[in-house]
Amino acid sequence: MSTENENVKRRDFLKGAVTGLGFGTLATMGVFSYSPMRSFFLPEVERKMTDFGTCKSIKITNISETSWFDNATLMGDMKGAGGLLVNQYVYNWPPFGDGTGLAKGSYEKGIAKIKHLLPNKLEEAWKIVEANSVNPQNAGGFAALIEIERLDGVKKKYLLDSGWSYDWMDKSFQREGIDKMLANGEIEALILSHEHFDHFFGLPVTMKYAPNIKIIIPEGFYKEGLQYIKDSGHKGELMVHKTGKNDIEPGLCAIVFDVPIICRVFGEQSLFANVQGKGLVSISGCCHQGIIQFISTAKKELKYDNDQMYGMYGGLHISPFDDWDPKYDDLVIGLKKWDFKSIGCNHCTGLLTARKFVAAGYPVVQGTARNRSKSKVYLGNGDTITFG
Amino acid sequence: METPLYLEERSLVKRFSGPWPLIINTLFIMALFYASWWIFQDPRGIMRMYTPFVGYMWCRWLLVVMIWIAYIFDFWPFSRSWLNNTHPVLKGVLLTTLTVAVFAIVLKVFFETILGDYAIAYFSPERLTKEGIVEFYALEYSAQAILMFAAIASWLSPAWVVAMEGAPWEKLPQPIKGFSIFILTFFLSVIFYFVFYHSNMGILFDPWQKFAAVTPPWWENFAGTVHGNFNIAWIMCCTVIVWMHETIWERYPFSMIQTPWIRRMASFFGIIAIAIALSFFLYFAQELIWGEAIRGTRRDAAPDWRWLHVGEMAIFWLLPTLYMHFYLKNGFNGYSKTINILLRTVVSVVAAIVLYYVYYKTSHLFLGTQKGFSHPQQFPMIPLIWFINVMLINYWFMDGWPGWRLAAAGEVVKAHPVHEKTVLTASFYRGALGGTIGGIAVYFAVIYFLPYMGKVLTIF
Repeated sequence: MSTENENVKRRDFLKGAVTGLGFGTLATMGVFSYSPMRSFFLPEVERKMTDFGTCKSIKITNISETSWFDNATLMGDMKGAGGLLVNQYVYNWPPFGDGTGLAKGSYEKGIAKIKHLLPNKLEEAWKIVEANSVNPQNAGGFAALIEIERLDGVKKKYLLDSGWSYDWMDKSFQREGIDKMLANGEIEALILSHEHFDHFFGLPVTMKYAPNIKIIIPEGFYKEGLQYIKDSGHKGELMVHKTGKNDIEPGLCAIVFDVPIICRVFGEQSLFANVQGKGLVSISGCCHQGIIQFISTAKKELKYDNDQMYGMYGGLHISPFDDWDPKYDDLVIGLKKWDFKSIGCNHCTGLLTARKFVAAGYPVVQGTARNRSKSKVYLGNGDTITFG
Repeated sequence: METPLYLEERSLVKRFSGPWPLIINTLFIMALFYASWWIFQDPRGIMRMYTPFVGYMWCRWLLVVMIWIAYIFDFWPFSRSWLNNTHPVLKGVLLTTLTVAVFAIVLKVFFETILGDYAIAYFSPERLTKEGIVEFYALEYSAQAILMFAAIASWLSPAWVVAMEGAPWEKLPQPIKGFSIFILTFFLSVIFYFVFYHSNMGILFDPWQKFAAVTPPWWENFAGTVHGNFNIAWIMCCTVIVWMHETIWERYPFSMIQTPWIRRMASFFGIIAIAIALSFFLYFAQELIWGEAIRGTRRDAAPDWRWLHVGEMAIFWLLPTLYMHFYLKNGFNGYSKTINILLRTVVSVVAAIVLYYVYYKTSHLFLGTQKGFSHPQQFPMIPLIWFINVMLINYWFMDGWPGWRLAAAGEVVKAHPVHEKTVLTASFYRGALGGTIGGIAVYFAVIYFLPYMGKVLTIF
């Protein structure tokens, strides 16, 4: 009898213990996990304060920010192809159109039609592209010229991205004199921010004028992209930046983020310049990693003048298709604490975001709405901005 | 007299000896998953519904309709005789077709027409397009709102059956019982939707729809984001905990409560409390591994994504749990109930961690998605719930065919559930006290080691 009682007691104790174990664990989860006390366990954020040099000033010329001319057309293509995750090389977008229609293409079939004409016979190539691609007239492209003035007054130029449409980009290069700068060897390197169609597919236009130029890409390019660099006629050095910080020259560095992006692209690099007496300037192609992610990384990693986030230029990839999401409101609200002094945004930032930035009181530099840019609310094609 | 659900009443027996039923069914559901994924969802496949929100909406709603069919309506209007005598493949095809048809009607009639055309514009993609939204995003916005309704319904619909035990209609025959529970849970889902997600839709448009929705949303300061993902976090955890409660936890510990109304209320609200605790913990776990979230960032550093990922992590737990319940008969049954539950819970959590690791390491190789944690257009909940849907079709609609079959009359003697002991002894309380202290220690041990675990299990 007593043994039976002992067994019952043991069973009851065990049952209570297991029940209590679950209760104790869950109750502590609920009470502690989201309480202010949890900060005790959170890792300390250490600022590395890596010195990457200083420059005197930096000037950016917006060669083209209009990656496409009509949102509805682009989104119609995306909808028809199956959404935002479809591989950009199968869309049959220019220049890889093979005449089979939306979402039925491939890099191999598309490039086969024009490879023999790259990079010197771009007009002829573009005619073939127009005949075989989906909505070729909608293609534009993103590219910017970065002119950095070193502390000793020497100026160096870098080209950020090479756009999309051969036709549009060639005309844009000619409009801003980039063709001559490339041909004269004035531009140190072509920095490709990422593999997206509107930043990368216009590569042969740069190759037409400077096939030996050094190209810097972030890691993450797919085999089609790497092959396209070769097929575009590139004969110079190809440098692959690894994830994290990569120095370019005193006062200018790139940070590569291993981010997955729409249309099956992976990885993006954006630039930072440390301007003497002013602070840090961010320069981005699309900034798919997010502008606050980008600058908070800089805060953790870099040393810069006045410890001040001074300016930014480029696409911020917030509402590129004039779409919206409440998380973008978090960005608009959250940007305030970084106290930027000059914001030169455009391209995939989206007009809606630029308007919300202006409404929030941010120092957005207005443009001139020339050369097919749609609004003066942000920097348009042919506009320039100088920091420092 | 309360009629047991068909799923509780039926007995399944293996059609083959040894591990073959398990192996065959695992291969079968994997093949069915991949074929259907390719046809309907895969961005490289045929219909490419993974846009992502259109595909997401469909997979969430198919889950809800299956719950309606199996749990709320108990397969009405199909008779027990039809269910017992029809070939499982035919049953699977017919009931799945019915599921799709029901949602197609709900989508077109209730959401897009009644709500979208006569009440709230964002439920109708056509109306949004007319108002100037690009067609692609009109569809995505509308699908987003409709799928959030499903997220709430996929918690409340089963919760009313398994936690509230169908009260106060538990003794009524079908379809009166079914329609009563359906109307109530649908009504509650509408209210919950307005309170927990309508504000998210109100700030989706410019300017913020401040006269039609509370803007900024009421959760902003608490959650660190204006995004409705905060509510998705705990609601998804509710969905998961309902099924934990129903399957591997065998409704314990609430089943110890003898007074029906107390048991029901304790179960319903207890599930919510556990879910909220879980959601806070999973958010904290991310902070411990990736650092504090920063408002305004994108992707895995953003508070809105972290809350979304709470729900995603919960679903990673649900999938192995349901697999264990359906195909391994809960896995552990040889010990006392509490020890069985403890072992099942531990094993399912470990399985969830393994699944999480394998998913993020490999899924981009075969799902048409991309590697990385936080692609803004990728939701692991879509393939995971799609897989769960396939398991439900196989287990609920097809009686576990081809590895299992319905037992013939008299072939299996069903064990009656053992009545819970009601008297809690001093030994139980002593054990509970020690266990509670142990539980607190386990919690702090886990959060202490999580940062190290995060480094060891780095995926990218």
